[in-house]
Amino acid sequence: MSQVSLTVNGKAVSVDVEDRTLLSSVLRENLGLTGTHIGCDTSQCGACTVHLDGRVVKSCTVLAVQAAGSDVMTIEGLAPSHDPSGATLHPVQQAFSECHALQCGFCTPGMIMAVTGLLKDTPDPDEQQIIHGLEGNLCRCTGYVNIVKAVKQAASALRA
Amino acid sequence: MTFSRLEDRRLVTGAGRYVSDWNFPGQLHAAFLRADRAHARIVSINTEAARAMPGVRVVLTAADTAAAGFRSLPCAAPIPGKGGSALLKPERPVLAGDVVRFVGECVACVVAETAIAAQDAVEAIIVEYEDLPVAMTAEAAVAPGAPQLHPGIPGNVAIEFETGDPAAVAAAFEGAAHVVSLDLHNQRVVGSPMEPKGCLARHDASTGDYFVHVCTQGTTGMRAQLVATTGVPDEHVHIVAEDVGGGFGLRFNAYPEYSAIMLAARLAGAPVRWVASRSEVFLSDEHARGVTSRGEVALDAEGHFLAFRFNFLNDMGAYIAPTGPVVAVLSIRACLAGVYRVPAAVANVRLALTNSVPMAAYRGAGRPVISYMIERLVDQAATDLGIDPVELRRRNLIPTAAMPWKTVNGLGYDSGDFPAVLDKALGLSDWNGFSARRAEAGARGMLRGIGIATFIESTGGGASPDEVEARFGDHGEITIHAVSHSHGQSHETAYAELLASVLGLPRERFRLRNGDPGVRLAGNPTGGSRTMHGVGSALRVLADDIIAKGRELAARALEAASADIEFDNGVFRIAGTDRSVSLDALIERHAAGPERVFDTRSSARTGSTFPNGCHVAEVEIDPATGVVSIERYTAVDDAGNLLNPTIVAGQMHGAIVQGAGQVLGEHAIYDLETGQFLTGSFMDYAMPKAVNVHGLTIADHPVPTPTNLLGVKGVGEAGVTGSLPALMNAILAALRPVGVTHFDMPATPARVWGAVGAARAGDGRRFAHA
Amino acid sequence: MYEFTYIKPGSLPEASDLLTRHEGAKPLSGGMTLIPTLKQRLSQPSHLVDLTGLAALKGIALVEGRLEIGAATRHVEVATSTVVRESLPALAALAAGIGDPQVRNRGTMGGSVANNDPAADYPSAVLGLAATVHTDRRSIAADDFFQGMFATALEPGELITRISFPLPERAAYAKFPHPASGYAMTGVFIAVTGGVVRVAVTGAGPGVFRWTDAEAALQASFSPAAIAGLEVDATDLNADIHAPAAYRANLVRVMALRALETLQTSSKGQ
Repeated sequence: MSQVSLTVNGKAVSVDVEDRTLLSSVLRENLGLTGTHIGCDTSQCGACTVHLDGRVVKSCTVLAVQAAGSDVMTIEGLAPSHDPSGATLHPVQQAFSECHALQCGFCTPGMIMAVTGLLKDTPDPDEQQIIHGLEGNLCRCTGYVNIVKAVKQAASALRA
Repeated sequence: MTFSRLEDRRLVTGAGRYVSDWNFPGQLHAAFLRADRAHARIVSINTEAARAMPGVRVVLTAADTAAAGFRSLPCAAPIPGKGGSALLKPERPVLAGDVVRFVGECVACVVAETAIAAQDAVEAIIVEYEDLPVAMTAEAAVAPGAPQLHPGIPGNVAIEFETGDPAAVAAAFEGAAHVVSLDLHNQRVVGSPMEPKGCLARHDASTGDYFVHVCTQGTTGMRAQLVATTGVPDEHVHIVAEDVGGGFGLRFNAYPEYSAIMLAARLAGAPVRWVASRSEVFLSDEHARGVTSRGEVALDAEGHFLAFRFNFLNDMGAYIAPTGPVVAVLSIRACLAGVYRVPAAVANVRLALTNSVPMAAYRGAGRPVISYMIERLVDQAATDLGIDPVELRRRNLIPTAAMPWKTVNGLGYDSGDFPAVLDKALGLSDWNGFSARRAEAGARGMLRGIGIATFIESTGGGASPDEVEARFGDHGEITIHAVSHSHGQSHETAYAELLASVLGLPRERFRLRNGDPGVRLAGNPTGGSRTMHGVGSALRVLADDIIAKGRELAARALEAASADIEFDNGVFRIAGTDRSVSLDALIERHAAGPERVFDTRSSARTGSTFPNGCHVAEVEIDPATGVVSIERYTAVDDAGNLLNPTIVAGQMHGAIVQGAGQVLGEHAIYDLETGQFLTGSFMDYAMPKAVNVHGLTIADHPVPTPTNLLGVKGVGEAGVTGSLPALMNAILAALRPVGVTHFDMPATPARVWGAVGAARAGDGRRFAHA
Repeated sequence: MYEFTYIKPGSLPEASDLLTRHEGAKPLSGGMTLIPTLKQRLSQPSHLVDLTGLAALKGIALVEGRLEIGAATRHVEVATSTVVRESLPALAALAAGIGDPQVRNRGTMGGSVANNDPAADYPSAVLGLAATVHTDRRSIAADDFFQGMFATALEPGELITRISFPLPERAAYAKFPHPASGYAMTGVFIAVTGGVVRVAVTGAGPGVFRWTDAEAALQASFSPAAIAGLEVDATDLNADIHAPAAYRANLVRVMALRALETLQTSSKGQ
């Protein structure tokens, strides 16, 4: 067992976990942040994508102990915190909704976290860069058509 | 207004609640021991060590399910077999006791304090097996001398269906000027919704009630199957579900694991949760397609179709899944003649048992099998006879004036305008400009092909009427209950928008609750693209029933006869006056009272609808690598009236890309000798990614159907039904010039490259039937 | 996953000592291969020794005309490093195409090279550039380092500290990603260093290898025409459910040609 302290969505947290515990299970089971989803066990689907020290990672492929001392942001922490009502969405969340870039919604949190990461590195991506940037995330519902559209819309909203 | 759905806010903020997101105090975790071989007699199961491991609370084997009175999982045939024969039903246990019949079949279930402890204990169970020979393909299973999977099912054929008129077809073939035949294989695929299946069961010992949280497409089918399997009375089984992360047909049936988890919860005296890993999903989710087929068409000298004759041999897996026979035969029966004026047709469908995961519905559920067969056969006929594929179709389409049309086997299409759909697709796809695009691609060394499919679907009629219920809350909110469960189809928004438009209330007033154990309704699960014509019609009735109630209340409030009250855009008015009261005001006044006067349950019963379309695909093939790239894709569909075009387009996108997934790479492969599953993860199973669907054009040519109140036709699956044949016809069109004469899916780079090479060496059929 | 003990040592000698002392210990770097392996219960280490905190394994620098990259450098750092992009753009481009963004943000060069997955990208660059693999004990030439599928010259407990790349006159990498996993079904790294042509192939065989026929042909005439007619012997190449060996043999030539095309549009490659 190890004690792991980290910052999640701006809050300092500390958990006692077996060393073999994944970051994703700390988020979901210990902290109740169930917006981070588990869609596979071979690190392909990306549903568990979170930001670890500002970079996108698959939280199912990071041990909690590896994340000790790090800053983690999950889908629950993405919307601006200045709005206590929670009514304001992050531009990527907004664009996903407006472009109908989600259907069942299961891949969506990971997809949105991946897109926010992509747009941080590539603020004005072309179609090929978007496709390349989403290589780590699978969606079974949308055929990706509206996801690509949402990324473009979010990119222009974020640049504005 | 900018598009957004009512369900979106919770889903984009991570607040959706899927099965694995539920937690209850004292909850335990389950893991399953699965067969590691495809066919074997179980000599012994030793669970002693597992039971002794830390944190282990319950270990279940077949002995325990037998003690609990569990029965075989149910299955049935939707129509009688040939000559009135019945389905030979294999016994399908929840946990295998005597024989395992596919890799991944459940043998034991361990419940422990943590999921890791349960998994650790699973590894401590020792099973002694005696291996039996395997039959891994339908062809192998029906071959003489094949190992028999089940007692009482000799030759491994569970049933043989025949639909159509074989004598009329035989006569037509006798007198035909041309006969064209084609063998096709529609490969096995894994639907792979992104949410892995799971189940959380709670048992209340004081009442005997079970609360079962599952991924479901609708509570009624799920509950009936669990009742049939566990023997727990219907009134004690309560299905609970909120968000469901995709289904596509695979979340219709009650998997054996769910019954086991119910028993585990009762024996453990605590809530028990099991969430499948993706590896388990691959080994245990129902697979689909897996059909070997032969089609023949008889034509007269002018290229008119005289008859179709089809033979389908379906790989059903090791057992008959509840929806398996429905998928295998009903769509073939309903769509036997496609969109064509063909005077005779017959199909023979044999269901074979093999040592593999049971087969059931996956998006399209049989329509992609029959449309793929017909549309590839038509293209083959065009090629063999030297007739342009568009012209051959045009010569044979059912004329619009002939609607409603009675098909060869006595069924019928109510409406459709097939020639106009075809013309629109040809125009939007710039069919006539293709030769210039091919020349340009050729100059770059690329093989370019264009393909067309004109197809029809039959959407689910439903086994029962669809009931819906509106419950008016104390704060003006209106909760709608329905059975058909959204697993991505946007029911929450579609229902609210429909009711809002009829009742003149804002859509935000409505909320949808599927899978609420407190509200038991009759109705059909989501499936067969039927929700908007089934549940939608019921909602239309519901709205009218609410308006009728409002009219009475308005008449009282306005002191007028109800016959004089008009309703328009949310307002009741005495005709010809300015005296009015709004529905909203009446709801505010009356809805919250003890009589709950506005609470309403309504229902409707609808039959099948016949969505149809013309899809045109254009592909480029790099002969150096075999990579197929979809350059343009035009879909023109008649889905009747469109309630929300954005949602409809989303359904089309998803279905077309799922079809593209099967065409370009998805393939569930078993080792033919060992029966091991070789494509058991996303490392080996090629899911479509965000690549290479360029120039997707979605358009509609609505012909409202008179068979339901909304004039809507189903739309959820048409994209797959159209894209399999359209894409493969395009790929064949690209490959024929280099000498490829036949090719079966999937068009993986290696297979396409191999086909080009083989064709250049004189063998144009090397990649027929993977 | 089975149980293990996680340790994050503060120094290289400490890490090495832990790995030597515990027979079942394994080094952990980015974990992009190891953690999925553990999750599938395909490996049961007693200890995981996390190398990512070791300063000795970090950094990207040009040293005496060579590019030196610390073993714990993440793929994203290689892909975006100005130093790498200017001095060895083919390596930056290769790194930018490994796996997916999430993998590139965690995976490390040392981890990839030490693991020597037959479908990994980096081994082709290391071999194609005749790089030197420095460990906590010695320096190993690329030609001696890779020894077949998942096998390397590393001794038990020996750790890669950095990899030293000579700067080529030109170099390029082209890969054909596996349609499902995204790994290299075949990747070809071509480099001309000090006038010597090397062609390294990953993905196609049981381990990274040099395509010596192409090297000789390109040495004689550095042009696509020189290799367009070469046949690749498929005998020892991988065959599986995804593709026969003959397909991979074809890809070796096609990817080599595509790498050469890249070079024609840029003097240093990209």
